[in-house]
Parts: sequence; C-alpha cells; structure tokens
Amino acid sequence: MKKCLLCLLVLCLPLTGCRYAGVLPYGREIEDMELIRTLGVDEAPAGVVITASGGDQEETRVVEGEADTISAAVLALQGGGDSYLYFGHVTQLLVGEGLAAQGVGPTLDYALRDVEMRLETTLYLVRGRAGAAIQEAAEEGSATERLEALAADAGLTAASMPRTAKDVLADLDRQGASFLPAVTGDGGLSAAGYGILKGDALAGWAQGDAALGVNLIFGKVDADVITVTAGDTTAALRVVGAKTDVRPRWDGGRLSGLDVTCRVEANIAEGAPMPHEATLAALTRALEKLEEGRMEQALALAASLDADYLALRPAAALAAPWRKSVLLGEQGLAGLELTARAEVTIQRSYHADG
Amino acid sequence: MAKDPSRHIPPHPRREPQYPGAITAERLGEIFRDCVDYTTRPVALGGGTGEELTLCYLGGVVRMERVSDYLLRPLARDGSLVGLAPAQQMARMERGALYNLDVARRDSLDQVVNDLVAGWCVLLFPGECTALSCFVGTEEKRSVSAPDNETVLKGARDGFVESVRTNTSIVRRHLKTADLRIREQVVGRQSETQVDILYIEGLTNPHLVEQLAAQLRDIDIDGVFSTGAIEEYIVPAAHTPFPLVQYTQRSDKFCAGLAQGRVGLFIDGIPLGYLAPAVLGNFLQAPQDKASSWMLATVLTVLRYFCMLTTLILPALYVAMVTFHQEMIPTRLALSIIAAKENVPFRSGFEVIVLLLAFEILQEAGLRLPQSIGQTVSIIGGLVVGSAAVEAKIVSPAVLIVVAIAGIAGYTMPSQEFSGALRIWRFLLVLLSIWAGLFGVILGAAVLIIHLAGLESFGVPYLTPFAVGTGLHAREHVFLRRPMPQIKFRPSALKPRNRRKQR
Repeated sequence: MKKCLLCLLVLCLPLTGCRYAGVLPYGREIEDMELIRTLGVDEAPAGVVITASGGDQEETRVVEGEADTISAAVLALQGGGDSYLYFGHVTQLLVGEGLAAQGVGPTLDYALRDVEMRLETTLYLVRGRAGAAIQEAAEEGSATERLEALAADAGLTAASMPRTAKDVLADLDRQGASFLPAVTGDGGLSAAGYGILKGDALAGWAQGDAALGVNLIFGKVDADVITVTAGDTTAALRVVGAKTDVRPRWDGGRLSGLDVTCRVEANIAEGAPMPHEATLAALTRALEKLEEGRMEQALALAASLDADYLALRPAAALAAPWRKSVLLGEQGLAGLELTARAEVTIQRSYHADG
Repeated sequence: MAKDPSRHIPPHPRREPQYPGAITAERLGEIFRDCVDYTTRPVALGGGTGEELTLCYLGGVVRMERVSDYLLRPLARDGSLVGLAPAQQMARMERGALYNLDVARRDSLDQVVNDLVAGWCVLLFPGECTALSCFVGTEEKRSVSAPDNETVLKGARDGFVESVRTNTSIVRRHLKTADLRIREQVVGRQSETQVDILYIEGLTNPHLVEQLAAQLRDIDIDGVFSTGAIEEYIVPAAHTPFPLVQYTQRSDKFCAGLAQGRVGLFIDGIPLGYLAPAVLGNFLQAPQDKASSWMLATVLTVLRYFCMLTTLILPALYVAMVTFHQEMIPTRLALSIIAAKENVPFRSGFEVIVLLLAFEILQEAGLRLPQSIGQTVSIIGGLVVGSAAVEAKIVSPAVLIVVAIAGIAGYTMPSQEFSGALRIWRFLLVLLSIWAGLFGVILGAAVLIIHLAGLESFGVPYLTPFAVGTGLHAREHVFLRRPMPQIKFRPSALKPRNRRKQR
C-alpha cells in the first residue's frame, strides 16, 4: 500500500510544475531552433550591436540586434523571428575593432556567464566592423565556414592561430595581456595577424613578420615554407616544428632580461638533393637569422607596449620555479632586455636522392 | 481499491491420502470412472488353469508388447505359481517370476493410482491389501537433436529434449563423475511433474542445493505446464523483470555450469536445463566464448556490454539531447537532425515512444506467426512501413535510425529474458528523459542500478562481480576472458566447496 502511494506520488511529480522553478531543464524541440554559429559584437551609439549568423546547411541567415548590453541585444534578437535562436553552437565570436579598443571585457564576461555560450568559442578580432564582415561573408557562403577553414589551415600557413575565450580570459587574468587572431573586415575574412590586448583593450597589432614570430614562439608552425639564399644556393625550406624555451636572466637578485630560444626543425622542400655540409650550414644560418628577426619583432612589440602577451614571464617561471614569485610578481616587460635566438636543424630533403 | 479475491477464498490443503480406501479393482474402477483408457483384464495363472488375478493399466501410456512379453507370458507359462497362496505368488513375482525390470509392491491406493498414470500396470491379487506394480510405460519421445533456439558453431549438438530421463542421461554422458547427484521431486497436484536437481557433490555448495530443494518442496500448484511454473516460485521474480535463473538447451553449457559449482534443474516435459544461481554477467556470456580465442571472446564480450548500454539508453539519450541538451550534439549532426525533422508534426519523445511500440508490435507479430510469414511481416513492417512513414514526414529518419540501432543492439544479448528486461527499462528511461532530460536518464539509471544491486539469485548478488556482498572478493574478470590455462578457480560468489578447478 505504501509502495503504491509512493509510486503515485512519484508519477505526480511532473504535474507539480517544478520544472519551471528551475529544478529541471526546460525542454525545447531542436527543430524549433535556429542554431547560431557565428556571433559578431560591435560598438553602437546605444551600446552594442550583435550580429548573429546561423541557418542550415543550404542557407545562411543573418540577424542583428542593438541594445545597451550584449544580453539585452541577444534578447532583442530573440523577439525578431519565430524560431528560438540557440547560442549553444556558437563556435566563433567576432569582436569589432572599435569595441575591442573600448575593451573586450564585457564580451568575454558574456561568454563566461551565459548558459548557452561556451568558453571554447574561438575569438577573432575584425579589422573594421564585425557585423559588416559577417554580412558580407554570408553573401558568398557563411562566415562560419570561412573561419573554420582559416582555423584548420592555421598551422599550414603559419599566419594565424585560433584562440578561445578561455585562453584569452586565462591570459588576461594571469599576465594582464593577450592576443587575438585578426581577420580582415571584408567578406573574405582573411588572416591579418594578431591584435594585442593589454588590460582588456586593444593596444596594438602584430602583423607580417611579427605575427609569424608569435606563431614561432608558440610553436604553431606545421608547414611554413620559407625561401632562403645562402651564397649561390637558394632553397625552399619547410619549417615543420618549433619549440621555444624562455630563460630568465638575472643581475644579482634582479630580473634583467628574458632569453627566448626557439629550436626550429626544417626540411628542404624544393631544390637539389641534400647539399654539402658547408651549404647546409649556410642555409641553416640564413634560416636562423630570418627566424630570429621574426621573433625579435614580436618581442619588440611586447616590450614597446609593455604587455606580456606572449606569456614570457609565466614561461620563465616554469624554467626557474624557485624564483616564481619574482617572475610572476610584475606583469609588464618594461626595463627587461628581451633576446631571441633560433637554433635551426635541417633534417632531410624530400628529394628522391636523399 | 479492489480487494484481493484470494483473501476470501479459503485454503485448499492437499488431502492425505488423496485416495483413501483399499487397493481393489472396484475402488480403482471408481477412481478412473469415465476414463476410456482405463483397462482391467482378468488373468488366470498357468495358462487358464490357476487362480485369477486382475491386471489394470491405462491404454496409451503403457507399451502393449511389454505387457504381453514381460507379464502375461510368464504368468501364463509359469505353472509353479498355480496353487500357491496369493501372498506367496506375490513374493515370487517380486523376486523374479516376472520378466519386468521394475517391479514394486504397493500398499497404498495413492501409489497405485500414481503408478497407473505414470505408465505402470498393476496386478491385483484376490484378498490381498497390497498390489504389484510393473513399469511397462511407453518411451515415446523426441530424439536428441541440435538446439533450436541456440546456435551452435563449435560445440556439442545434443540439445535437451522433453524427457527428463533422457536429459539426465545426456548430462551423464558429458559428466562421467560418480559424484554427479540427481535428486528428484514431484511438483504439481494434477501434473505430478518430475523435477530433477543436479549437482556435483564435493564441489557445489550444499546449502545452495538444500535451498533449491526446499523451494521446490514448497511449490503447491496444479501443474507444471510452462517454465514460469517453476521459475517464478524459486526466485523473487515478482519484483523484477530480470531473469534470476539461466536456462539453456545446450548440454555443454549446462554441464559447464554444473562443473562451475552451480545447481542444475530439469523439468519433465520442458526441453531446457536451468542453472542457478545466475548473475548479470552470465546473461552476457555466450557459449561460443569458451570455444573462441580469448582475444576474440574478450572483444565480443565488451561489444555485448556496449550493446547492452546502447539498447538501454540510446533512445532516452536521443530524446534528452534533442529536447533538452542540444549543446551536446555536434553542430553538423544537429543541423542534420533539424533538416530531417523539418515538417514532422510530432515531438521527439512521442516519436520515439511510438516507434519503440511499433518495434515491439512487429517483433511480437513476427514471433506469433509461422516463420515464413513472420519474416514477411518484419520486412513489410521494418522496410516498407518505415520508409513510407519517413517519406510521408510522419517520423523523422533520425528517430527511425536511433530506434533501429537500439533494437538491433538488443538482439546481441545471448539471453532473451535479459533482453526483454532491458526493453522494459528502455521505455521507462525514455519516459524519464521526456520529463527531465539527462537528469531523468541519470535518475532512471540510478534506480536501475539500485534495483539490480538489491537483487540476489540464491544468495548471490546479481551484480557479481561488479558489486559483491560482504566478505566476498571480486577477483573474476568480467570483460576479459582470460586464456583457459589461467582460469584456476571457480567463482568465489558461488561458494564452491572446492575452488580450484585446475592445477
């Protein structure tokens, strides 16, 4: 009898409406949803403007909403159509240049707090307005596909490196600076180096060799091809690996500088079979010089902006954990001498003769 | 609330003796009145010159040639019986004057009646209060053949038949030890069914044997006409859909169970052997496992456990994910599901429930029909109706695929009973997932685990060796079927008297 009553009580649970009191999740059919995959955030007179790109495999739909906060703008978007806009599948979050100059803090905070957004969302900084870039990309396909392709090719081109909201939040918390991959503001959404954040605001750009230097320091070079000339020999070298080591330099008990050493592995991609030792040494030196130059540009940016966006101090703390408190005590790089050194190894040639 | 009618019907204890009175032809005639097969025949000793006895038997259950050759011939030819007192005649016949192998003196009417029904014929002597029973029963039975419902790839093909004695002889052929014990009990007031308990003395836990025997003694039912008549009385089957005894038609599997320290059970008229105790792991092991390479057997065992989880939770997981936790679905898959569900009028939970019901109906229809028609029903139901329903946008292809995968995964279970229990729980989990998504699924899974953890089969925890009772050590491998030479011990949960099974 007691068991029957208990079963009846349990069966009556769905009738209590406790689902709506927040105890149970709210059910919503997947077919009633519009999956948003790319979100753009720009500054606006009223506050922020949100551009959301979603749709199915055949058609891309873009909607826009403006309000004083991101949450309010998202709510404004929800009222615009019959489908529920679902942000649980947002894989790319684009921040406009103007908003980034004001600070990306609120955007990252939204990604952190919102129940649907994920910290694994990839962040991009748009040179221009994010909304316009998404709209333009939608005309030729979708911003999502373009950015996914960019992220997939990042290692191959060594021109960009995907960064998630979690990475950036962790960097800002740890060393007060970070960097975001930048894309052009046109519909092509091509890689345009990196935007450097200090505090949470855009402080500068790392482009060209400096961006390549950033990639090198972070070891994100899977197949970068570099043409070097040593004497009469010109060879295309494929950089297939890089590993960076940061060592602190001390002047008595004071930190005086950081030595960044990158061990680079390369192969001869095109040209003659494996050259003679002298030629090989010359090619190695040429590549070392080139890679050192790239790293120096990236380091110079860090020094000039006094922003440890490359996480040099935490890396040095790992090398000398007994001086961790000194190394992590200050967040800037002002007054430190930053040196770059590349140690290149050319391993093999892809020529049939070896 | 309706009251239990059994409470108002007084108990009907068995009469002892069931048939009171003296052993006479008249009394037997009264008991077997209106029975066309009951026959009595006066037999005069010495070819018609001596005293007259009465021969009683039931036609059809006795073999006439045996009656003629083993009884009537010696009675007619043996002149030395003529002139003796009935008690002396009976004593001589009992000692060897009859050619019959089984001759027994009966002094109660109950015994005589039971003998007649069991294929014995009874000789009544004038003025005597006892009778002689001679076994002359027919031995009409199905010949031993390969098991019908258990595929044998590598292994013995002598499957069990309906005759309990044939089955015990098959076991004797496989287990030639003299320690094999076969105890018999009769169950059923009307059916008087022989139920044999088999075990190996010195190996099987005697407490287990006594427990089973006691439970069989407590059974007081009309008859044993189906397997449930015994199964549901010896295990707490009323509280669970999960099987607590294992059955098989394969003699090798049955004998392996006995050698492991389990107790076997044969029921006359049912071509199956039962093994007790049975725990969850037993229902996920196939007899082929011992005949295959240990690596293959291990992979297949892991696959079976995976299929068990798939058939149990996949539909519930699908409902939970498409209704509550869309973020768990990979984006491209979510887009495919949305595209597939376009214009489908029903909610995902409803679709899954309806398709699961349709699956059960198809399965039931296929089982009830003759094999050839059953296959046609499956094809029409599964392929034609399924694809038509998808094309008509009544169900989405994703749901159809999920239900089909869950159904096919369920077929990998070696035990139909276990598979059936999983199917019931599958429905419950789907209902819970409709209500509360993954929270419901987890709640249901927790209840299921608690339920399984509370089950015991003859004192052995059902989740052995995943979870064992106090004082037991779970050392057996569940997923890994080790090479045979390394399996040194019998399962400790069975508490065998001799744990080591090989040097």
